[in-house]
Amino acid sequence: MTATSLLEYSHTLGFMANQGRGFNNPVDLAVNSKGIVYVLNRAGPEVGVRIAYKRITRCTPDEEYLGEFCTGGTGDGELWWPSSLAFDDEDRLFVADEALNRISIFDQDGKYLEKWGVAGTGDGQFNRPSFIAFDRDYNLLVSDSLNHRVQRYTTDGRLLAQWGEYGGGDGQFNMPWGLAVDIHGQVYVSDWRNDRIQKFDESGAFVSTFGGPGQADGELNRPAGLAVDRQGNIIVADWGNERVQVLDGEGRFAAAFRGESRDSLWAQDYFAANPDEASARRAALLEPEIESRPEYDVHRGYEWERSANVEKLFWGPTSVKLGPNGLVYVVDSLRHRIQIYRAATG
Amino acid sequence: MANTELALMAHLMRRAGFGATRDELDDCLAQGYESTVEQLLNPERSPVMDEDLIRRYHIDQNSLMLIESSQAYWLYRIINTQRPLEEKMALFWHGLFATAYGKLNHAKAVVNQTNTFRRCGLGDFRTLLLELSRDPAMIFWLDNKDNHKDAPNENYGRELLELFSMGIGNYTEDDVKACARAFTGWTIANADYMSIRASRDSIWPHGRLDWQFEYLPEDHDDSDKTFLGHTGPFNGEDIIDIICRQPATAWFVAAKLYGYFVSDTPNEESIQFLADKFTETGGNIREVMRALLLSDFFRGDEARLARVKSPTELVAGTARLAGSYQFPEWGIVNLAMDVSFMGQEILNPPTVEGWHTGREWIDTGNLVERVNSAALEMGDLARPGVQAALSRVREAGDTLEPLEFVDVCLDVLGLYDVTDATRESLVNHAARDGALEFGKRGAVDCTDARVAEMLQLIVATREFQLA
Repeated sequence: MTATSLLEYSHTLGFMANQGRGFNNPVDLAVNSKGIVYVLNRAGPEVGVRIAYKRITRCTPDEEYLGEFCTGGTGDGELWWPSSLAFDDEDRLFVADEALNRISIFDQDGKYLEKWGVAGTGDGQFNRPSFIAFDRDYNLLVSDSLNHRVQRYTTDGRLLAQWGEYGGGDGQFNMPWGLAVDIHGQVYVSDWRNDRIQKFDESGAFVSTFGGPGQADGELNRPAGLAVDRQGNIIVADWGNERVQVLDGEGRFAAAFRGESRDSLWAQDYFAANPDEASARRAALLEPEIESRPEYDVHRGYEWERSANVEKLFWGPTSVKLGPNGLVYVVDSLRHRIQIYRAATG
Repeated sequence: MANTELALMAHLMRRAGFGATRDELDDCLAQGYESTVEQLLNPERSPVMDEDLIRRYHIDQNSLMLIESSQAYWLYRIINTQRPLEEKMALFWHGLFATAYGKLNHAKAVVNQTNTFRRCGLGDFRTLLLELSRDPAMIFWLDNKDNHKDAPNENYGRELLELFSMGIGNYTEDDVKACARAFTGWTIANADYMSIRASRDSIWPHGRLDWQFEYLPEDHDDSDKTFLGHTGPFNGEDIIDIICRQPATAWFVAAKLYGYFVSDTPNEESIQFLADKFTETGGNIREVMRALLLSDFFRGDEARLARVKSPTELVAGTARLAGSYQFPEWGIVNLAMDVSFMGQEILNPPTVEGWHTGREWIDTGNLVERVNSAALEMGDLARPGVQAALSRVREAGDTLEPLEFVDVCLDVLGLYDVTDATRESLVNHAARDGALEFGKRGAVDCTDARVAEMLQLIVATREFQLA
């Protein structure tokens, strides 16, 4: 494995759209057994017509739009602060919602099936479930962020185990976000406000910790979703640093990507229909050098500001998922798109 | 009843911030008035608000693409800031240098401008005007991107003199023309592309692209200009230097600060005092504000409740008292929309003149909005601030006669300067149910509900509408 040969940019999926073909602040995606991509659009704010922009979009990796289902709301089968998606072994889609503190279940056609979960701090209760992933036995792991713990449930909502508490020590969490399970069943958790990844064995026993706060190679700033490939490489959305990092199985830095999106087919269609805007865009300098300003450091940081200016860069990456054919999907939430990379080494 | 020191501190925190809880007032009192003023004047001594939480949970407030999201973000900042004067100054300058989303279709650009106000709002006025002149939102708002060497556009030059510094009557039309020529070539990068996007409110393909200042020397008119009696090949910086030396500018800024921080009714002597301080200090706003907050005219009785709260002051102040939205929760966008419904759509002022303030904040329609919004927040016993208030009322004694009950509730809300008529009406209401008896439990315990109701009545009083 070499750092430069790990991943290469393939193409971009998506385009900003309040409804229909396109995405609106996607936060996660899941790929079913047929390779269909389901994108979770959190959208917002929760007001007026915008509530309806929350939805799940179905499409193929090569940019064919297949439709959408769900809408915003607090009723059964609706979304308010949807946070994560995962398919079980029967291609049922599980959706976490961190405002409604519940898991909703749909079939792969988008038909609502059932829900479970209640708000609270006790066993089997949620306080903003931020991420879900299935373990090797198809039990559901839940990152219960404001309870600072990971929980394991059967698919019908029976609590099997939980671990973690608030803190900065081994096995403790501060608002965990992303979750991933490797081929050996080991569990990786983005320990968001501790700026690290923690690794646990299949039973939830602490194994090791990676990262630590900072912007240097191998350091993390509020990590979000992550994935682990068959070789054991960890690919993490380094949300606060506006980048994706690859760490090896021991947590050693392997590569970092700042993003290099090009126009998706849907974006190309837009410019074909709006030639004057396309013409002005071609004449524009789309990758300006951005000078640092004193207020950047006080507020959201230089890299966040740079991403606000340079469209090709990641801006608020929230999730990384692996798909068939070596595809690596990075959910580029504030740019309403998925940047797709390809594992160069297969 | 008024404890004069507490009443003065509550007055200070309403004006130089957005109000304070009773616990915060105690902390300020322990620190002392002058020391509290220094803390307010030096916001860098207090921690900056963590933005990661709001960015994580309110994804729309991460990109700040939409106006409602950006308004909710600013309101959250105001409610949670530990640097209240920094936010108050930002709101002040936003009202004075009013720049509106409506024309820009770019909420983050206006938010960026407010960040400049946070950074420069207590600095020297020259730097502030210079930053404002380079601010992309302002350049777009007042058409300076269309101000070319061969085809000047006077919009920014005119408003810089009329609305942002000297005021009408202190310059000529020729000065306006010279001012505009001095700012030719001050534009934004990719102006054509950004203009076409703004004109059609394009969010495609991937949301907004930020704007950056750009100076084009080839588009700048570097010929001689005569401005306010001075002649030279002036650029924008030179014009701002000249503006900042004008007595009219000192008076203009002083009058605006007086109206915002002291009273809706102007006082020439006090304004001149502040104008002199502006001149003495080379336009240092922190020094002018120090003089204002320590002055007798600010601390005296005449300034108490002498201003109508703006909708932002009212809503944010009530939320701070109630302890609402101390953590990102859905619903804050609705609170921000309440502010808009009351007539102050922050980040989207109605015109370049900003909002009409004072009594114009209140009409029969939005008075109902103001009262309902405040009462809704304060009547929610689940709010931590309401619980804290309840605890203080309980600590006052197991049995509180109606007058004591009212005075304790006024105290916990830091509202000391109410009229006798207001107090009497509150006492009359309390007396209908007799003394408040915490120790005595009947079949149905209504004491908590009675306290919440009294708090609601207090925030519905005339005095609570005033700062």
